[in-house]
Amino acid sequence: MRISYNWLKEYVDLKESAEALSETLMSAGLPTESIENIGADKVLEVEVTANRPDWLSYIGVAREVAAITGRKLKMPPVKKSEARSQRSEIKVKIEDKALCQKYTARIIRNVKVGDSPAWLKTRIEAMGLRPVNNIVDITNFCLFETGEPMHAFDLDKISGGEVLIRKAKKGEKITAIDGVERTLEDSMLIIADSSKPIAIAGIMGGFSTEVNLSTKNILLEAAYFEPISIRRTSRKLALSSDSSYRFERRVDISNVSYSSDRATGLICQIASGEASGLIDIGQKEAKKKPVVLRYSKLDSVLGHKIPSVKAKKILTDLGLKLKASSKDKISLETPGFRHDLKEEIDLIEEVARVYGYSKIPSTIPLIVAQEERISSDMAVLKKIRAAFTGLGFDEIITYSLLSKKFIGSAALPAEETVSVANPLSIEQEAMRPSLMPGMLGAVLWNINRRSRDLKLFEIGHVYGKSGSDFTERQYLGACVTGEESNWAGGSRNLSFFDLKGAVEAFISSLGIKDVSFANAADRRFSDASCASIELAGEAIGVIGEVDANILKNFDIKSPVYACEICLDKIGPYVSTKKKFETLPKYPSVSRDISIVADKDTPNRNIMAVIRASAGTVLKEVNLVDKYSGKQIPDGKISLTYRIEYQNPSKTLEEKEVLEVHTKVLSALLSELGAKLR
Amino acid sequence: MKDKIRQTEAKALSDIKAVAGQREGLESLRIKLLGRKGEISELFKGLSAVAPEDKAEVGKLLNELKNSVTITIEEALGALSTKPSGAKNRIDVTLPGTPSRLGSSHPITQTIDRISEIFIGLGFRVVEGPEIETERYNFEALNIPLEHPSRDAFDTFYLESLGGKHLLRSHTSPVQARFMEKNKPPFSIIVPGKVYRPDATDASHSFMFHQVEGLCVGKDIHFSDLKGCLETFAKEMFGSSTRMRLRPSFFPFTEPSAEVDISCIICGGASGEKRCSVCGGKGWLEILGAGMVNPKVFEKVGYDPQKITGFAFGMGVERIAMLKYGINDIRMFYENDERFLRQF
Repeated sequence: MRISYNWLKEYVDLKESAEALSETLMSAGLPTESIENIGADKVLEVEVTANRPDWLSYIGVAREVAAITGRKLKMPPVKKSEARSQRSEIKVKIEDKALCQKYTARIIRNVKVGDSPAWLKTRIEAMGLRPVNNIVDITNFCLFETGEPMHAFDLDKISGGEVLIRKAKKGEKITAIDGVERTLEDSMLIIADSSKPIAIAGIMGGFSTEVNLSTKNILLEAAYFEPISIRRTSRKLALSSDSSYRFERRVDISNVSYSSDRATGLICQIASGEASGLIDIGQKEAKKKPVVLRYSKLDSVLGHKIPSVKAKKILTDLGLKLKASSKDKISLETPGFRHDLKEEIDLIEEVARVYGYSKIPSTIPLIVAQEERISSDMAVLKKIRAAFTGLGFDEIITYSLLSKKFIGSAALPAEETVSVANPLSIEQEAMRPSLMPGMLGAVLWNINRRSRDLKLFEIGHVYGKSGSDFTERQYLGACVTGEESNWAGGSRNLSFFDLKGAVEAFISSLGIKDVSFANAADRRFSDASCASIELAGEAIGVIGEVDANILKNFDIKSPVYACEICLDKIGPYVSTKKKFETLPKYPSVSRDISIVADKDTPNRNIMAVIRASAGTVLKEVNLVDKYSGKQIPDGKISLTYRIEYQNPSKTLEEKEVLEVHTKVLSALLSELGAKLR
Repeated sequence: MKDKIRQTEAKALSDIKAVAGQREGLESLRIKLLGRKGEISELFKGLSAVAPEDKAEVGKLLNELKNSVTITIEEALGALSTKPSGAKNRIDVTLPGTPSRLGSSHPITQTIDRISEIFIGLGFRVVEGPEIETERYNFEALNIPLEHPSRDAFDTFYLESLGGKHLLRSHTSPVQARFMEKNKPPFSIIVPGKVYRPDATDASHSFMFHQVEGLCVGKDIHFSDLKGCLETFAKEMFGSSTRMRLRPSFFPFTEPSAEVDISCIICGGASGEKRCSVCGGKGWLEILGAGMVNPKVFEKVGYDPQKITGFAFGMGVERIAMLKYGINDIRMFYENDERFLRQF
């Protein structure tokens, strides 16, 4: 809402500058976005919250200024309307009393439609509008001044001598003053004459009854329309106006007649019209129930004692009427322009607001100790992040909403994804079913910026459908690509095993021991290197080299190794309990064993043979070298394992070590057909 | 003879001391004193001429002389040999260390962690909630009527219908109602998470961003407690000289409500500093919205608002991170450019 400083001065004395005024308004809850200089005037663009439609008018803002500064509100004087004369030449009838609780109409004859006087034009222009003619300008002026939207019809174009406030008939059409023809629905409230709609109630008048330079007689409407109905119609028609903006926020029903009188006075004065009496129909105003404020509640909500005299003064200054007062509480009637004040808490807010938030002290609450400060799930996420960053991975955050095309380019079934019903663009049309597309997008972004090596990870939700429900699961994605090089170690390409090592490390950091990897097939990964990651036989994720076609879709030229793991599935296996194991008293003995085996013998099988044959004295076994080359026959591979033997209850003798080591060796030779190298 | 031994010892020790820093000097002294024809060997040769009754004593003195000179020279040489023998084998200490780079967690994660730490320190507990929500939790439970202008502030993404009406939460506040339905007061929670709003993307708007919600509920929770907690937060997050102010505002789920500003972290709110580009010369930065939980919100989850009070607040994580790190384009958080990520 625009507030012209000069205009506002008409209703309340302003001794302070526009800037100082904006500070005062801000501390009352009406912040200024910007101040614009227009000639000698300054116009404040203020941000009115949805609870304060009374601030959508000059009188409303002036009333607030008067209340908080102790000045006087100067209401523009009006000539009170004569008694209603329904016996006039036009018949007005409210057919839908639920959607229109009050309707006033007044005939003003022999108006001289023409240019507005300079002062009025200045006011209209200060609001960012173009002056149209004196009648339209006066109704607009009064809308901003009083907050009550009004509409002037050309009386002579209303057919049948009647005005009906009714719901539209399905398919009925109206061309509004913006020149656009709209088809109405039967839920929409309209103003009609005997043959056609002449206005979309509270939103916009019709073109056929518009006031123009040839208009002689007018019918001035001022009414109260039900907010929800105005809002629904405005939304359905995608048509909003200064008028609908106010009606949907609720106008002050007790202000309707006053506003009509004010506009009538101006029309008679400026356009030399002759007004007849006000036709005023509709329901009697329901009497409002007084609201009670207990001083003890005021103090306990705020944590601060505000003197009861002070609280009472703040509320009465704001226009509330004292109905009853005792030592402990007061009872007040709220004014028509403050329909947001219904409960005790509303009054507490008013007192606090005007008293000043800055005068309320700061305290620290007594917070009762709670079972856990951070949930175990979140502690797990923290550990995973620590593991990955410790291993040199950077965390990324990518969008949860993507285009289906983008999702499809990562070989994911785009048609099964969760669709967004109202995306702003196709870039947000679907929810990601996987972290892969976003991750590959980040890889491409960095490769295009000449990144040589990338290690990335992301933790986030992925979404899907399951029957009539949506699913949302926590996932981890990670990937490596490129070449790592340094002066000491030369350069090498990041591989499947770099990523696998990271996965093993983070899983082990969660106290999980039995992770295993098994060959798997997945559309997203190359057949040659793809594994499912399993915990106790349950697949929790997949790891592999990203399929070449996908990389082509993303225009990525170097191999990318990626994994995706469902963290919700890991949860049950996480073990945070740690128990100390006594350190071994007796030394261990370490022996290497080098064998030549068939190239496609899985490491897992070799390890299994070693474990089974070494028995209880085996402490640990690790692959320390893998070689194929000149000295190794085709189809074969040389592998060196380091085996550590230990007996927890005594020092192993050389003889015993030799015995078990020989046993391991012969098992490898006999069971796997390996040869000693 | 005894005198001679004493003189030799005194002279030898002072000579050694004189050349203590020089290997060559020490070596030639050793030869001069201990060599086969050295002074001490010569003294030993004179032993035969000593009277038999003195022989034992003089012999002992001679041995002591030899030992003390030998040890002193050895020690002096030993002291020399621990220093580097020369610059020939020196390593180039300016070569880079073997690369072992730590990765970075995302600046949004770091900011959420920092916010969480501060509130955990005040006794809050961290909880989470789903991103796919219903109108009931996102709006109605928070006293936002479905057909009311107060909903305009919460533009929302809706999902395709699988029978019901689902949406992407437009704020983290739905977790308030979800938590209260399952728990009894007193409690204090903060809720970090992603939220979504159909905003056209530009340097300061994103259709996906992060919020941290806070909720403290009990028998005796006041507006003054809200101020105290937020002041602690502002000072810990932005520095102890940070000032805070609360401006009256409106949110359907709190009353009284406030917009919370902190003094500009760049110009410090120095009045008249019109050129500050961060606060635009206003001296204040809006960082969060807060208020006392509206009694209607309590009623909807079955709490008695006559007995229970509480406060709530919500802040945009990107906004806080942008202020703290001086980032001027929100889109950078989602580009995931390594050169950006590695700065945090």
